[in-house]
Amino acid sequence: MNSIFNDPGFWHRLQFGFTIVYHYLFPQLTMGLALFLVYWKWRALRTGDEKYNQAVRFWAKIFGLNFAVGVVTGIPMEFQFGTNWADFSKYAGGVIGQTLAMEGMFAFFLESAFVGALIWGEKRLGPRAHFAAAIAVALGSWISGYFILVTNSFMQNPVGYRIEANGSLGIASFSAYLLNHWAWVQFFHNQMAAVVTGSFVVAAVGAFYALRGLHPVQAKLYLRVGTFVGLIASLLVAFPSGDQQAKMVGNHQPVTLAAMEGRFVGGTMAGVAVIGQPNVAAQRLDNPIEIPGALSFLAYGHFGSFVRGLDEFPKEVWPDNIELLYYSFHIMITLGTLFIILMGFATLQNWREKLESSTFLLWVLMLAFPFPYIANTLGWMTTELGRQPWLVYGLFHTRDGYSKVVSNGNAIFTLIGFTGLYFVLGLLFLGLTGREIAKGPDQEAVITPHKEAIA
Amino acid sequence: MIATWYAVVSFMLIIYIVLDGRNFGAGMLHWFVAKTPEERRQVIAAIGPLWTWHEVWLVGFGGTLVAVFPRLMASAFAGYYLALFLILWCLILRGISLEVGGHINDRLWQQFWDFLFVFSNFLLAILFGAAAGNLARGVPLDAHGDFSMAFFTDFNVRGNVGLLDWYTVSIAIFTAVMLAAHGATYLTLKTEGPVHDRCEKCAKYLWAAVLPVFLIIMIESRVVRPDLPGRAIYNPFWWLGLAVSLASAVVLALSLSTQHELRAFLASNFLIAGMLATGSAAIFPVMLHSTLAPANSMTAYAVAAGPTSLHIAAIWWPISVALAVFYFVFISRRYAGKVSVQRDT
Repeated sequence: MNSIFNDPGFWHRLQFGFTIVYHYLFPQLTMGLALFLVYWKWRALRTGDEKYNQAVRFWAKIFGLNFAVGVVTGIPMEFQFGTNWADFSKYAGGVIGQTLAMEGMFAFFLESAFVGALIWGEKRLGPRAHFAAAIAVALGSWISGYFILVTNSFMQNPVGYRIEANGSLGIASFSAYLLNHWAWVQFFHNQMAAVVTGSFVVAAVGAFYALRGLHPVQAKLYLRVGTFVGLIASLLVAFPSGDQQAKMVGNHQPVTLAAMEGRFVGGTMAGVAVIGQPNVAAQRLDNPIEIPGALSFLAYGHFGSFVRGLDEFPKEVWPDNIELLYYSFHIMITLGTLFIILMGFATLQNWREKLESSTFLLWVLMLAFPFPYIANTLGWMTTELGRQPWLVYGLFHTRDGYSKVVSNGNAIFTLIGFTGLYFVLGLLFLGLTGREIAKGPDQEAVITPHKEAIA
Repeated sequence: MIATWYAVVSFMLIIYIVLDGRNFGAGMLHWFVAKTPEERRQVIAAIGPLWTWHEVWLVGFGGTLVAVFPRLMASAFAGYYLALFLILWCLILRGISLEVGGHINDRLWQQFWDFLFVFSNFLLAILFGAAAGNLARGVPLDAHGDFSMAFFTDFNVRGNVGLLDWYTVSIAIFTAVMLAAHGATYLTLKTEGPVHDRCEKCAKYLWAAVLPVFLIIMIESRVVRPDLPGRAIYNPFWWLGLAVSLASAVVLALSLSTQHELRAFLASNFLIAGMLATGSAAIFPVMLHSTLAPANSMTAYAVAAGPTSLHIAAIWWPISVALAVFYFVFISRRYAGKVSVQRDT
């Protein structure tokens, strides 16, 4: 009897993976959108132009919906460290608990205290305090991202720890832990990717209004800012941040880089496979089209650099699903490249004042918004699948981390529960966001005191 | 150091229960004190803009628990597996029904979300109450410091216990009644018109009901844990909690009869906080009591993180709480006063 039904580790991984991927659909938009809100509020203060306030009012509502779903789906994440990953928490809780707690105490407190003021407080607070609320919320969401990335970076590249008498991990150097090199690189890459999601959504709504001939002033604003920010952020995601990220993986987790690239055999002049299918059984990449030397250059800076292949590592340390890792990484890169081309072209057309009249391009922009979500998810799948079989890289195996006292049936039951609940949640979220977009931004600010509370 | 962290973690949980407890209470009463759609919007508005601010205290508590008592967090959360997921799901349902209900002005839509709102808040009060009962009674911890618990076994309080038994159910009922009273006191302060009048009456009846139920659970607690308060009578926090509870109870009774709404609400907060503080001081230093063998019980000293982790947390924690107090002042000033009945469209 050897099936997934008596492999509890599988179900705990699936549940955490599912709930975290779902959860992160929401913060990636709030982190990206927060910058737009700050920027527009600042423009409104500087120019006194009402269209910026209108944009803030409209996007703050979308932000609010995202924020609420982000909060309710985020709380289970923290608790699952105890419920599903008890043995991991016993082992590493003394280290990672610090940043999990700091995220709640520094970031969420800030964000949740001011998000109401941002969404409903425009008239009561006055423009300056409203601008401050926007900054507070943006700051909160980005700090929260940093603390979570420090936590993840410790799992990728453990630093600043020591092993305590009882075998668990404790902190040796808090600054080393908090300023993990991995965290900085990953933070930059991840935040830029969140801005890509935000800008694609902003541009998509602009394109939707432009195609329908609605709210022309707002449509133009969303398209102009969305495509320009989208271009800058897409470029920064690839270079320098994506490039740095890949170099870092090559240095700290060479076996992961080999698996990401489907390199079963090492060598100099290592190429990047544009296309190809990893065949793990035969240990080769089938039907590849390679750019010779490109991987050597990208990972180590010289075409002649030696890039290690999977054959140099014992099979026990190979990531446990090389195919999924390889495809996640490659599809992410492909999408990222397409984002640069699309936003570059849209920015050019906008500069030539031809964007709003180009129906085809508007259609593409309107329908493109799901793809940054996909690319973000694939990026995280690359990170997390690449870390396997380790939970804390080089120190602690994933198979040792789940809660041994939780029965398999319970884990499957809660996974099914989350699937159902999150399906309904997704429907509601899409329906309500759709309604807000259909209602549009041409609305007056709420004036009467206290009405903001009634929503 | 470890005793201080025990106090800090208790403090965070108490703040959460006091803050979100008013929402559980107001949520439970929602249907009974508000009859028309406008009145119901008024109740939602009294809770509405602040529920995420209240809920993040649970996140703060959970995070601090992992940071300073990782072994306890691991054992307790894995052991309470299904119960905790029920709480998490109810929190999700509660949050959505609050956010979603007001978005569409349709009778059926709002009735549905109102129902879900009442239901999830009621269940949350019951579940948190049962959890408190479990902390007092203990859980079947084995020699490795692990346990896994069924929803119920034979409804007895010794040996291989389940989540629900006669004692934890009593505590759950007590919690529901007291939080309902707390919520009614809050709504009295925040509303006007017919909702206000109903809440005022409700609060008096509910607080009157809290007293006999409280006496019952005190007698029950004596039977279930004859060893308590034990050494706690030498603990100043136990006496402090007791004094705060008694003083708040007196102030609450006076304020309810003289219709001092703000004072009544503050007293209600302090009463709940005082009772929880007394309870948490009473069980110290044991954080999880074993019903199988006293030697298996987990003390704060045994489950704490290493000294460096505690020192580091001692640096950032006060800063973060100072910031939280600053936000709290901002929030209290901004959302002070009553919410009106009219709504914008």
